[in-house]
Amino acid sequence: MEYIGHGGREIVERVIASPAEAKERIQGLTRVAVSGRAARESINIAYGFFTPLEGFMGKQDVATVCHKMALSDGTLWSVPIVFDIAGEEIREKGIKEGGTILLDYEGNALAILEVEDIFDYDRTEMAQAVLGTTDARHPGVRMLDEMKDTFIGGKVTLVNAPRFNPPFDRFWYTPKELRAKFLEKGWQRVVAHQTRNVPHSGHEWLMKGAWFAANGELPVEKLPTGILVSCIIGPKRVGDYIDEAIALGQQRLHEAGYFRDDVHMVSIALWDMRYAGPKEAIFHAILRENLGCTHHMFGRDHAGVGSYYDPYDAHRIFDQIPEGSLNIKPVRVLEWWYCPVCGEVTYSGLCGHSQQKQDFSGTVIRSIIQDKVKPTKLIFRPEVFDELMEAADRYGFGSPFCTEEYLSQRQPVFELGRL
Amino acid sequence: MAETFSINLWINEERYDRLSKVGLAGVTKDALAGMRVLQLQCAEEQKDKLLALYPMAKFDSATTKSIELVPAEAKEQMFNLVIERKSLDVMGEFLKGVS
Repeated sequence: MEYIGHGGREIVERVIASPAEAKERIQGLTRVAVSGRAARESINIAYGFFTPLEGFMGKQDVATVCHKMALSDGTLWSVPIVFDIAGEEIREKGIKEGGTILLDYEGNALAILEVEDIFDYDRTEMAQAVLGTTDARHPGVRMLDEMKDTFIGGKVTLVNAPRFNPPFDRFWYTPKELRAKFLEKGWQRVVAHQTRNVPHSGHEWLMKGAWFAANGELPVEKLPTGILVSCIIGPKRVGDYIDEAIALGQQRLHEAGYFRDDVHMVSIALWDMRYAGPKEAIFHAILRENLGCTHHMFGRDHAGVGSYYDPYDAHRIFDQIPEGSLNIKPVRVLEWWYCPVCGEVTYSGLCGHSQQKQDFSGTVIRSIIQDKVKPTKLIFRPEVFDELMEAADRYGFGSPFCTEEYLSQRQPVFELGRL
Repeated sequence: MAETFSINLWINEERYDRLSKVGLAGVTKDALAGMRVLQLQCAEEQKDKLLALYPMAKFDSATTKSIELVPAEAKEQMFNLVIERKSLDVMGEFLKGVS
């Protein structure tokens, strides 16, 4: 089986599978404790989620990503993937270009980083170029502001594979594993649905609409097209849905028959959202291209926040990239709303009752659930609601939404064993 | 006329009974395939105050133009004021009481 990822480059796993070999390789290396974001990105790099990246970016790549939306070799890329470290720590630990350091996550060895480039970069310039703003209220700007003052670029090799805790272990697939799964299912086309939500029926119909668009001219007797739900797992805030409910709620959609089992599957992707709107849409397309998807659904205000982007900027950017620079097709969709005249959840691009429409969003559904009201079946599937409440009891300390208690005491998504 | 922004108080059976007792059941609206909602209106300044008071609350600028995710306890207080005053014009009093 061929594993060709973004930029026409082969997906290569940079993972030392043998603990004995890993122990030997890390012997005597300087340890550097890393953030959750750096740990998640190291894992992504090592398994090929970020192909063609083999490591954290050096200065030249960061500059071309910021200013030309491409890596220095010309491959389309829209979001810098950087490893930040305090200059003081570099000096204290004597870290030098040409050396190798051991990345340590929560007291355990995670990966080795070959120090190829130590550099600084104007983070305000990075924010303006990627996020289109330097406003400190933008969460992506805050993420950049909170980074340490120096960056290290270089190849990453995982020395300790993460162990995913339930329920995430059922949904974690590397790009190679996912491609094997698609082959097993007989899917010739796969449309990605990125989500950070427990699905309401608007999401369900977005996926169904995207399936029709992706299946296009293909025969329908054998259903050669599938939907990959790719749940983003990253930092959470109080009030967000708990991660467990998101993955399990999506899974329940096909378990309850709202999708056939052979056209729908759920996976997780580790990613700290930048909320970069259009630039992040390009990045999400690259990520899903590496997973083996052929199409990616983009709804209104994809990866947006506040009013920093026009709701359809993330659609338009796909018209501005060089032809052939992506091997995945965007499926661009408008909103779905509830129409009391049609008596159904329907597509704004087709329904003519815009005066009578009733909008709903993930945020509105969260408000309804917070008010202790069970949404109606047409809006939120009862089986998904039950799953949400079960997840609240099992994982959320009684709440389907993140609380301080959940954030401080939850079981981690993944852990590393002792080497 | 100045633009106003709504806060949706979703109505379960218990809330509906309490509204009925004070003669306000008729002010709820049908929403989303059979749910009922009571919409309180906020002026721009009141919206900003609410969002500052409750950082987890969100103005859904993209879809519904409503203020969502106000904590349940705060919405309960608003609802109680509606019942006590038999009026939907309670945002001023609510904000005075909590700020």
